[in-house]
Amino acid sequence: MMLVVLVLTALALYFAQRNVTTTAERDLRENFQAEISSLHKVQALRNSALTERCRELVLKPRLHAALEDNALDLLYPTAKDELRDLMEGVAPGKGEGANSLQARFYRFLSGSGAIIPPPNPTEVGQLSREAEAQLALKRLPDTQQIGYVLETADTIDGTMNEVMALPILSTETGEVISALVVGFKPYEVVDKSEGTGLKSGIWVNGRLHLPSLPKSAELKIENDIAYAVSKPDGAQNSFNVTVDGVPQLLFYKHLNPGSLFPPAYEICVYSLANSIAQQRRLSWQIGGAGALLLLLGFVASHFIAARLSVPVEKLAVDSEKNRAHWREAEAALASTSEELERSARYSADASHQLKSPVTVLRAGLDNLLNREGFKPEVYHELSGLLHQTYRLTGVIDDLLLLSRLDAGHLQIDSKPVNLSQLINEWIDDLNALPDSPEIKIEQELPAEIFVAGEKRYTSLIVQNLLENARKYNRLGGCIRVAARRDNAEVVLTVGNTGRPIAQTAQQHIFERFHRGAPVSNISGHGLGLNLARELARLHGGDLRLLRSDNDWTEFEVRFRVARPSLRRAAEVV
Amino acid sequence: MRFLLLVSVSAIWILSPIAVLADAIVEGRVNLPKSHAPPPVMAKRYEIVTNGGVLATKPPLAVVYLDGSFPTPTSHSIKQVAQKDLAFLPPLLPVQIGTTVEFPNLDDTYHNIFSYSPAKRFDLGRYRPEERPIPSVVFDVAGLVTLRCDIHEHMRGLILVLNTPYFVITDESGRFRLSGLPAGHYTLKAWIDSKTTREQPVELKSGATLRTDFP
Repeated sequence: MMLVVLVLTALALYFAQRNVTTTAERDLRENFQAEISSLHKVQALRNSALTERCRELVLKPRLHAALEDNALDLLYPTAKDELRDLMEGVAPGKGEGANSLQARFYRFLSGSGAIIPPPNPTEVGQLSREAEAQLALKRLPDTQQIGYVLETADTIDGTMNEVMALPILSTETGEVISALVVGFKPYEVVDKSEGTGLKSGIWVNGRLHLPSLPKSAELKIENDIAYAVSKPDGAQNSFNVTVDGVPQLLFYKHLNPGSLFPPAYEICVYSLANSIAQQRRLSWQIGGAGALLLLLGFVASHFIAARLSVPVEKLAVDSEKNRAHWREAEAALASTSEELERSARYSADASHQLKSPVTVLRAGLDNLLNREGFKPEVYHELSGLLHQTYRLTGVIDDLLLLSRLDAGHLQIDSKPVNLSQLINEWIDDLNALPDSPEIKIEQELPAEIFVAGEKRYTSLIVQNLLENARKYNRLGGCIRVAARRDNAEVVLTVGNTGRPIAQTAQQHIFERFHRGAPVSNISGHGLGLNLARELARLHGGDLRLLRSDNDWTEFEVRFRVARPSLRRAAEVV
Repeated sequence: MRFLLLVSVSAIWILSPIAVLADAIVEGRVNLPKSHAPPPVMAKRYEIVTNGGVLATKPPLAVVYLDGSFPTPTSHSIKQVAQKDLAFLPPLLPVQIGTTVEFPNLDDTYHNIFSYSPAKRFDLGRYRPEERPIPSVVFDVAGLVTLRCDIHEHMRGLILVLNTPYFVITDESGRFRLSGLPAGHYTLKAWIDSKTTREQPVELKSGATLRTDFP
């Protein structure tokens, strides 16, 4: 129970943690992308506005006149008028225009791409010599070019300038005769709240300009970016950096692909501090909740276990006892069953083994009887021996039948048997026996009464009872045989006069090899009644002793009545 | 109506001899560049075109003038280059040094005529047709002056400032006739476009007509 609670809690914690991490990462990425895309939208809008303004300027007829009509000395003075709007608010020493659409400086390029020097630099926006040199191009551009120039003269951090170079096409020749280069303050997101959100800057010529980052961090990131952009894959990518121990997601994008100016990259840095703090807070919350859950779980499980364990323990003890009993009974049953099987097998084997020598013996005796030249007492002896072989065969047959019964191998082929007829045949046989004593046989039998059974075995039952009635009778005694219907059964009673079976022996008369009384002159081997009862039971009936007293012993057999349809079929046959 | 009057007045002025004593005549034909363009549909006779940075008239015309040092005229002459249908009219105007040229605006819109040409830099600023007095410029240095409009960047006009009172614009076939010229040795020049001026020496005799062609 404890283990289950523990595992469940651990699983819940794990999944919650994972879910939180995934959600946080996704939120972060979405935030970042949303901010970058809004930044890009603003930049695109601003760029198109700037381009439009500059494009108007390069069409100015005065500028064209100055360039085409050999009046270069009028170029900057003219431009001063024409670009007044663009440069408005720019005064010497006041480089930061209030409006991001205002220019910081401008220059014209000559036919070779070099700077046409302005007569009065203060009027065109002052630049250091190095910065001005970066405005020159190796040739005049055919299309608008974007570049970035870092002015390092004025402050330690320097000032990044976004530069737009527009070709000036001669209205007379259609050729590019000059270019106007205008410098603007680049659009940068300056983070108001310290340490969080998006910061953007520009990397050009191996220098990073991201004023909202500490100087030391700038230097460190510069190298990372230089390495990242030196790889030829993709113009847009990102990687993670650490600034003052705070992880940051850095995003870079090539700003001026194909430009004649040096390649410049937009650098966006997104602090992961917030997200990590949030994640950590959530982790703690989840951890706390998990611990609480675990504690509750332990208490609950302990309580439940205590309540549940009493009956369970009792059940366990009981079931252990039951199991022991069951095992004993099973063992007993197994041994009994084994014993039974063994004895059945033994009987069957013994019967088969005995039959062959008896047959040989009988054949030999027959052979001897048929010989001549023996003394008469020899013949008498041989005849007695031959009679014994028949008895032996009877015993063996009975044993074989019993063993088949015991093994459950005996199948009866149930057909209607005319019991009256069967009894009459046996009575005839009894009367025909040579040593038959003076016994009167009474019978109360219907003309015909059909029972369900196999004739062979039904006959064996009847024979056994009749032979016993004759064997255990007295001189001048009688036998009474009666059969009657009793509902679905046929009841056959066989009674005989003679000494009754002793009271103590009555309960054993159906056991094997048991004889009612130790009468040496009565033939028998103690299997007959047992066999008759087994067969009666096999036929769905039974055999029992009704009474045995006062010179009268009476047995009763019950058979099942044959079904009429079967009976009619038998009649037809 | 006024415009036609102006044009005819100026034409008479160009063709009439200034010096009464001068009566020599020179005539001939300037071999002009071939023009492949069909004749202009509009009423004006020609326009200023640029081809490879060279300004010329279309169809090609030449200004033939007698070069030399002549005394500056005492009387102040005034000529006009109008802005009509967003074009200069006439597109090409030869004038003697010291001539005042007025730039009347005959369109219903603003024009801002200016020139950055070394021969004359001026800027008349924006003005409407009713602007009075009519903005004007005195051309006092010889040379070619390119006229532009700051509002209509396609507009081009040429004023050829000459140090001679003897000049004429050829017809479309290049034929010219200059009369009332003083006798003597001179150089006869033919301005064909902003980059091409041909010349040849001439000896003029009083009362005689010299026939000379520019090949």
